[in-house]
Amino acid sequence: MKNLSLFAFLAAVSLTFYGCTNSSDPGSTGGAGGGGESTISADAPKVAYVTNGIASFWDIAEKGAMDGGKEFDANVIVKMPANGVEDQKRMCQDLLAQGIKGIAISPIDPDNQGDLLDEISSHTNLITQDSDAPASKRLCYIGMDNYTAGRMCGKLVKEAMPEGGSVIILVGRLAQENAKLRRQGTIDEILGRSEDRTRYDDPNDGEIKGEKYTILDTRTDGFDFGKCKDNAQDAIAKYEDLGCMVGLFAYNPPLILEAVREAGKVGKIKIVSFDEDERSLEAIQKGEMYGTTVQDPYNYGYKSVEILAALARGDKSVIPEGGVINIPARNIRKDNVDEFWTELKRLTAKEAPGCC
Amino acid sequence: MKKNLGILGLFLVVFIATAFANPDFVNAYNLENLIRRASLYGIIGIGVSLVIITSGIDLSIGSMIGLVGTMLPYLLIEHGASLFTGLLAVVALSASIGLIHGLLITRLKLQPFVVTLCGLLIYRGCARWMTGDSVQGFKGNYDSLRYLAIGKIPLGTLPGIGEFNLPVPFLLMTGLAIVAAIFLNKTIYGRYLLALGRNEQAARYSGINTDRMVVLAYVLCSLVAGFGGILFALDSNSIQPDNFGSFYELYAIAAAVLGGCSLRGGQGSIFGVVIGAAILPLLRNSINLLGMPTTLEFAIIGVVILAGVIVDEVVKRMAAKRRAALAAKQASGS
Repeated sequence: MKNLSLFAFLAAVSLTFYGCTNSSDPGSTGGAGGGGESTISADAPKVAYVTNGIASFWDIAEKGAMDGGKEFDANVIVKMPANGVEDQKRMCQDLLAQGIKGIAISPIDPDNQGDLLDEISSHTNLITQDSDAPASKRLCYIGMDNYTAGRMCGKLVKEAMPEGGSVIILVGRLAQENAKLRRQGTIDEILGRSEDRTRYDDPNDGEIKGEKYTILDTRTDGFDFGKCKDNAQDAIAKYEDLGCMVGLFAYNPPLILEAVREAGKVGKIKIVSFDEDERSLEAIQKGEMYGTTVQDPYNYGYKSVEILAALARGDKSVIPEGGVINIPARNIRKDNVDEFWTELKRLTAKEAPGCC
Repeated sequence: MKKNLGILGLFLVVFIATAFANPDFVNAYNLENLIRRASLYGIIGIGVSLVIITSGIDLSIGSMIGLVGTMLPYLLIEHGASLFTGLLAVVALSASIGLIHGLLITRLKLQPFVVTLCGLLIYRGCARWMTGDSVQGFKGNYDSLRYLAIGKIPLGTLPGIGEFNLPVPFLLMTGLAIVAAIFLNKTIYGRYLLALGRNEQAARYSGINTDRMVVLAYVLCSLVAGFGGILFALDSNSIQPDNFGSFYELYAIAAAVLGGCSLRGGQGSIFGVVIGAAILPLLRNSINLLGMPTTLEFAIIGVVILAGVIVDEVVKRMAAKRRAALAAKQASGS
């Protein structure tokens, strides 16, 4: 019985840990995910699109991948690992065992997944998407530059608060490279610094003062939604003249908005968002949030399948020089949110509640 | 009350130190937030203390909160269920889960640790499967229901604090604490729970139906956890099935143990649990307001609680020694 208890305990701790730490894409909220498969024809090459978690962000990418399959005559399998690195590894190995003709993957921990990426590249065509692993033998990377996207987010902050003021940044976790780059890009743009992807302001060093703007702090929540809201409320309590709050992961801005609403400071504290959570888009429509910097997950999926299908047929000309296909981010404000949301609904064929 | 002096002292030290270090800590807005968070944790702490008193444990509370918190908006928003149906469904589910736990523990003689650990996995899985892992929320509806979690009652201007509003969850927690304290200390069933926690065999031989009391404790614990789940969901309004409520069982158990409940059973005070539950949100709030790095958060919480418990234990031992010495003196004098 003792052994059984120990086993059950260890299993639960592992599952709980993974559930907490690797549950969602850093730039997205959860969605109706889990992955899927489409078969175009028996002769078409079978390619796979592997995400780094289950999230609404990835649902959009899945739609792009499936549309890509129809357009470029490929059978597509989409895999969404729910439990982090181990799950992703298992899924990839199972795909290789099926004789898959190519994998587009968003590596969860590229620095420590070298073995897995080597294993994939030694068996089939490997490309990375959303998050790069430049040290691997991937054939190309499809995605945006997180530092540039961060700078775009910083531009929104400056537009929302042109006269200057104080800014606090809320983010799920800073251990991930894309989160670090996003945050640094945002800070550098707000403070009017030159572009330098190697610069890193340690969040433990306290306030960063510029001429017009001050970055007060960066608070993380480890993907705990309750704690994210607590962090937002504590910041409102601590900084009476707080000018702007930036949420760098998709779930952060809606929770910031909750805190700002409850404090009765909508409009007084500006909110700038990242990604296309429906509640953020709705708040931008209503003028409660200033704007959001969005990625283009549909094209991550679509372009990945296009490249993999061509590679499976032996066409290597689709790989660009430098090995990077940039899918740029966009800034969405009140003036273009309707157009963006309509387009998003068309791509995902999903009704957006509250949208006019 | 005397037994809770240690934890109360820890609470006051952290509270006063933070208030001195940052005067914003005692502004009305921050105190309201702190009281609301402490009340929500207090509610689930009270629930689990009823089980701990019987020398049991419930590790499924976090997943229960996740399941109930996910299910309520899922039924109301995704399926258009009426408020009555939605609430009835989650309350019935909570009670049923407690009943199953209790029956498995008393009839099949399974260990509470294993039963509720499996519950932790099962309920999390159910929440994720039911919703397809999609984020749930009330989407701007049910504001009157959300009042239970985010509502505030104006109390006017308080000296040194400003315009103060009492969070509604504090009233709910206080009501629950009073009922739980009366149940535990003034009713025969409460005394049965304490008795069976201290020595189940002796309680059974003295005519108490211990199995029935254990089942009752688990049902009450799950019901309260379900109630907590509803409130946490109404407060957050953004519920991710794969992690909503994760680790809350540990926070609840920590609150109960810090508040004086013995994991061996037979001992516990509701007042202590309420204070114990307030320690965690207080420390988190202090860390934020004092601008300490979030990366150090767990370490600071661990060190402060450990230091508090050590001081409490040392003080208790010194008091016991003094009492023993006094008793020996009196015995030799008589």
